[in-house]
Amino acid sequence: MHQTKSGRQTTQTESSIYLNEAFAIWFRDLRSEFRTRYALNAILMFAVTTLIAVSFSIGSFRIEEAERPFLYSVLLWIILTFSALSGLARSFVKEEEAGTIDVLKLCARPQAVFLGKLLFNLTLLGALELIIVPSFILLMCYQINFPGFFIAMIISGGLGLGAGTTIIAAMIARASTRGALFSALSLPLLLPLMITCIKGCERAAIGISSAGWPEVKIAVAYFVIMITMSLLLFPLVWEE
Amino acid sequence: MMFALNVSGIGKHYGETLLFKNISFQLNRGDVLAVAGWNGSGKSTLLRIIAGLVRPSAGQVGMFFNSEPISKESRRRFVGMVAPALSLYDELTGLENMEFFSRVRGTACNRNDCFDIIDRVGLTEHATKMCRDYSSGMKQRLKLAQALLHKPPLLLLDEPGCNLDSKGIKVVEEIISEQRQLGMTVIASNEKREADYADRVINLSE
Repeated sequence: MHQTKSGRQTTQTESSIYLNEAFAIWFRDLRSEFRTRYALNAILMFAVTTLIAVSFSIGSFRIEEAERPFLYSVLLWIILTFSALSGLARSFVKEEEAGTIDVLKLCARPQAVFLGKLLFNLTLLGALELIIVPSFILLMCYQINFPGFFIAMIISGGLGLGAGTTIIAAMIARASTRGALFSALSLPLLLPLMITCIKGCERAAIGISSAGWPEVKIAVAYFVIMITMSLLLFPLVWEE
Repeated sequence: MMFALNVSGIGKHYGETLLFKNISFQLNRGDVLAVAGWNGSGKSTLLRIIAGLVRPSAGQVGMFFNSEPISKESRRRFVGMVAPALSLYDELTGLENMEFFSRVRGTACNRNDCFDIIDRVGLTEHATKMCRDYSSGMKQRLKLAQALLHKPPLLLLDEPGCNLDSKGIKVVEEIISEQRQLGMTVIASNEKREADYADRVINLSE
């Protein structure tokens, strides 16, 4: 137990309260999502529809063997990125639309809110990747010669995608034309990550081994930079 | 342990439209202040400025604990607010809402403490119902519970009797009365009954 100067007792030390608050927000978002399924439905509907459309229209038999690693990587990351864009903005937009954003501002620290929302978006992205990536591999007969590198690329790319979309979602939550603004801001910010992930997955599919998995390192660095910048900038976005 | 609120020279305008200017007052433990004024005079905005949700165009809000200024980040611990624009989570039950706010505020409330607060506002039988199934009066009671959860020394009540029946209004009266022991209250309302709870009245229409 910890006594504050006002006399009220808090359950944790000051530093761990940040994480406790973030986990509380993450858990509440998860609980709400299980009950409403707004974001999950939006993401999965887009992902599954696109995946089916891609697999029927340009199935594996229509693409030259040599071009498959690159083209499949492009298609996979297009599906993942645009599916993420279709639903991850909801994390902040729903607070704004439901009128709960002010009560959250009164209760939680900005950094804790960001971390909680980031954890929630990463959970959604993890679920999306878990469903879409194996389905894509099966439907497109996507041959991966270096599975370890491929999995690391999918995970690190997902982390970067989650961090990028979370801060953009916070920025656009108050705008009147949220949908258009979200895509317009996301694409330039996510493009370097997408290019890296496409390159990494292509190399993993071909089976080119390179020391240190540079694309994975770039994606992890992107994630770390986005988190650091977001934690510094988010209080400015969060406050009026 | 003494908490004090010092509002000095607060003004707010949106573009060319001046809402109010040069509002100053000081509150100490036991004080109840009513803010009155016509619709659109800025009562809710003044409360939102005090809560830190809106930046003033001029002036400043100072909060002090034992004469020491409280940093902006720490202020949320000292403020409880009820307002028509503040919504709770419809997809959670009343009890889950309280548990969430308790955790996110870092208070040491367990499930029983949360239940006690819900009982305090007369929602015992509805604690495990989804908030989306609550009536507007029940939602208002739950907002009161949320504001009281961390025992704040500063209670900001914007239209506290909004949608409440006679029993609910009695609860508000008791809360304001008890708050005199804990700290201070600022009420924004046009209801004469709510202004009568106060020791002082600021009229923003003047």
